[in-house]
Amino acid sequence: MTEAINTGPGPHPSPAVLPAVWKLLSLRWQISWNSFRRTRLVRKIFTVIGYLALLGFVGFIFWASWQLLGFLRSPELTQYVGDTRQFVDAVPGLLFTAFFFGILLTSFGVLLQALYLSGDMDFLLAAPVPIRAVFITKLLQAILPNFGLGIAFGLPVLFGLGASRGYNFLYYILVVLMFVLVSLAAAGLAALLVMLVARVFPARRVVEVLGFVGAIFSMICSQTGNLMNSAGDEIDVTNQQVSQTVGLLSRFDNPLNPLSWPAKGLLSLGEGSWLPGLGLSLLSLGLAGFIFWVSLQTAERWYYTGWAGMQAVTRKKKATRAGSPAINGAAGLTGDALERSHPLFSRLRRLVERTLAAPIRGIIWKDSLVLRRDLRQFSQLITPLIFGVIYGFIFLRRGGEVPAGQGEAPAWFMGALGTLLNYGSILLAIFVGWMLLQRLGGMGFSAEGKNYWLLKTSPLSARQILTAKFLVAYLPSLALSILFLVGYSILQKTPFPAFLYSILALGACLGGMAGIEVAFGAAGANFTWEDPRRMNAGNMGCLGSILAVLYVPLNLALFFVPLVVINLMALPQILGFLVGGLLGLGACIAAVIIPMRLLEPRVNKLGE
Amino acid sequence: MTTPLIQTQNLTKSYGDKLAVNNVTFEVHPGEVFGFLGPNGAGKTTTIKMIVGLLQPSSGLVKVAGYDINSQSLLAKASSGYVPDTPNLYAKLSGRELLRFVGSLYSMQRAQAERRADELLRMFDLAAAADDTIDSYSHGMQQKTALAAALMHDPKVLVLDEPTVGLDPKSARLIKDILRQMADRGAAVFLSTHILEIAERMCDRIGIINKGQLVAVGTMQELRALGQNAADQTGAASQTGAASLEDIFLDLTGGAEEAAIAEVLL
Repeated sequence: MTEAINTGPGPHPSPAVLPAVWKLLSLRWQISWNSFRRTRLVRKIFTVIGYLALLGFVGFIFWASWQLLGFLRSPELTQYVGDTRQFVDAVPGLLFTAFFFGILLTSFGVLLQALYLSGDMDFLLAAPVPIRAVFITKLLQAILPNFGLGIAFGLPVLFGLGASRGYNFLYYILVVLMFVLVSLAAAGLAALLVMLVARVFPARRVVEVLGFVGAIFSMICSQTGNLMNSAGDEIDVTNQQVSQTVGLLSRFDNPLNPLSWPAKGLLSLGEGSWLPGLGLSLLSLGLAGFIFWVSLQTAERWYYTGWAGMQAVTRKKKATRAGSPAINGAAGLTGDALERSHPLFSRLRRLVERTLAAPIRGIIWKDSLVLRRDLRQFSQLITPLIFGVIYGFIFLRRGGEVPAGQGEAPAWFMGALGTLLNYGSILLAIFVGWMLLQRLGGMGFSAEGKNYWLLKTSPLSARQILTAKFLVAYLPSLALSILFLVGYSILQKTPFPAFLYSILALGACLGGMAGIEVAFGAAGANFTWEDPRRMNAGNMGCLGSILAVLYVPLNLALFFVPLVVINLMALPQILGFLVGGLLGLGACIAAVIIPMRLLEPRVNKLGE
Repeated sequence: MTTPLIQTQNLTKSYGDKLAVNNVTFEVHPGEVFGFLGPNGAGKTTTIKMIVGLLQPSSGLVKVAGYDINSQSLLAKASSGYVPDTPNLYAKLSGRELLRFVGSLYSMQRAQAERRADELLRMFDLAAAADDTIDSYSHGMQQKTALAAALMHDPKVLVLDEPTVGLDPKSARLIKDILRQMADRGAAVFLSTHILEIAERMCDRIGIINKGQLVAVGTMQELRALGQNAADQTGAASQTGAASLEDIFLDLTGGAEEAAIAEVLL
C-alpha cells in the first residue's frame, strides 16, 4: 500500500541573508581547501612559500614607505627640492582613486563571468536561498582576489605614512574600514554596469570581447615599455617635467574629487584634527556604504530579471551573406562566382585539390574559420603582429650598420659581419613567425578540445591530421614573416639576390620549426580545456618550443656559413647560395619529417 | 546468414586493475537495430567508443563493416557514423559549415556534400538556423546537428550513444523513424539508451551489459525467456512473471532489489 506523499513542513529554508551568505562562502572555502589538500606536496610547499614571500614583500613595502615618506619630510631634502608635503598628502587620495578604479574595472569581467556564466547559477537560484545572498556571495567571490591584491600593496603604504608621521591608532583602523567600503562601492557599481551590459549584449560575447581587448591592451602596454626602454638613452628627464608630474599627482587631492575625501579625513584624524577628520571620514564611509546599498538593491532586482531574461533569450537571425566564402566555400575553396570571374582561382583550386586531400583542405578551412571567429583565440594571433611592429621599429632604429668598434677588428671579420648583416632582418622575420607558430603549431591539436572526437572517428590517418595541422601553422606564419621581411628588406635596401636567399632560408627555418612544434604539440595535446586561453600543450609543448628555437641557429648556420666561407675564399656567390641552400633545405626536411614520423603512433592514441 | 556489420569478439578494456568492459562478444547484422542497455557505469559508452575507434581495446576484436577497427581503421571509420552522448561540436562553425566540414573529412564531392547538407538541415528542421554558429543552438538542436553530421556520408553502420536525450517528442520520433528507415535499407544501427520503451519498441535485438559483462543478448522473446529462467532459479517469481523489458532489465542487472527498497522507503 502506497502512502500519501509527505505534506508536512519540509526542511525549514533559512530566510536570513547573512547565514546564507556564510553558508555559500563556507562552501567556496571548502572547495578551495579540498583542492589545496589534494595537490602534491611540492605544490603545497610552493604555495606556502609563495604566501610567505608575499607577506615578506608586504612587510618590505611597509618599511620602505615608512622610511621613504619620512625621508621626504626631512629638512635636509626640503632644502634641495622644496616642500614635498603637498605631494605626500596626495598619496592616500591617489591610492584610493587607483584602488577604486582598479576594483571597478577588474570586477567587471570577473562579475560578468561569476554572475552570468558560472555553472552553478541554476542550482543556486533553484535552492531555497535568498537571491540577495547569492548575489552578495558572487560579489564577494569576484572582488576578493583583487581586493586582496589592492590591500597587499595599498595598506602597507598608508600604514607606512601613518608610522612616519606618528599617527594615532584610529587612523589605522579607519584605513582598513575605508578600503573595505571603497572596494564594496566599486564592486557594487561594477555589478550595476554588468547588469546593464548583460541586458543589451549576450554575456558570453561580452566576455570574449573583453578578453580580446584586455589581451591586446596589456600586450601593447608591455611592449610600449620595451619601446620606451629602447629609446631610453635619448630621453632626458628635466626638473621641470618632475615638477609637472608631482603637480599632476597633487590634483588627486582636489576637494571636488570624492575619492580624496577619505584620504583627507584620514590625514586629519591622524594629525589630531578630530572634527574635520571625523566629519570627512564618516561622510566618506556613509557615501561608500550608500553607493553599495543602492547598487545592491538595484542590481539584485536587475539581476533576477536579467538572468531570467537570459534564459529565455532568442537567437538573433543572421542574414545569409550570399557570396561570402564562409557560406559558399566548401572545404576551404573559394566560391564558384569568384572562380568564374577569375580563371586563375579555378586553376589554383584545381592545383590545391590535386595536391591536398579533401580532409586536409577541410581541416585547414575549418581552423581558419574557428580561429578568426573566436576572439579569445584571435587575440593570441594578434600578439605576434604587435611584437613584430615594435621589435621591427627597434631594429630599424638601430640601423643594421656594422659597428665600427675601435677599428682593431681584421678586415675579413668586418667583411663577414657585413655579409651576415645583409640578412639581419631574417632573424626578426623568424621571431615574428615563431610567435605565431607557437600558438598555431604548438597548440594545433589542443585547440581541437572536446571536438577532437569528430576527427578521431573520421577516416583520417595520423599523417593527414599532422599534415593539416602543419599547414595550418606553417602557411600563415610564413606569410606574416615574408610580409615583415619584404618590408624590412625594402627599408634596408637589401640586395635582391640576398633578399631571395633570405626568403628561402626563412621558409626552411619556419618549416622545420613548424614540424617540431606541431609534433611535440600533438604529443602533449590537452583536450579538456573550457577557456581557449587556458589551453596548453603541457611539458611536451614546452620541449617542442625549446627544440624549435635550438633548431634555428643550426639551420641558419647551414644556410649562411657556406656563404661567408665562399665570400672569404672569393669564389662566385652563386656557389655559396647553392651549397647553403642544399644544406639548409636538407635540415628543414629532416626537421619536418623526423619528429612527425616519430610521433605518428602517438597521434593514433590521442584523446583516449 | 549475412555478414555482420558490427562484430565484437572477447572485447575487453581495462583501466589499471579495473575492468570496464570484460570479454564482450556480439554481432549486429545488416537491417538490424540493436539496443545496448545497462545501468550507469556498466560499460556501454566504453564499448561504443571502442566500436567507433575512440578507444583502443586492451584485448579482443572489433570489426565494423568487415574491417578491423585497429588494423583497417580508415576503412572501418569510412563505413560508420557516430553520435556521442554529449554533442561537442565546433561552437564557432555554423550548422551548414559543420556539415560541409564533415563532408570533406569523408572525401565527399563538393556538390554532393552541399546537396546532402541541405537535405539533412531541412529534414532536421535546422534550415532556418543553418547559418548561425552552433554556440547559439539549444541542446536539442546540437543533438540534431550531430546526428545530421553522422548521416552526411550515408553510413552503413550508425552508432548512437543516448540519441534521444534532450530532444522534444517530435525530434525523438523523427530520429526513431530515420533509424528504422536506415535499418530497412540494410544499415546496422547500434544505439545505447536508458529509455527502455524506445529499446522495446524500436530494437530488433537487445544486449544488456552489467559491470562490464554482457549478461544477455537476443530478441525481446529471447530475453523474456531468459528473464523467466533467471527468476525461476532465484525464486523471485512474483517479479519476473511480467513481460516488460523493465522487469527483465532489473532482474538481469540486480535492480529489482533496489526497486523493492525504494518502495519500502517511499
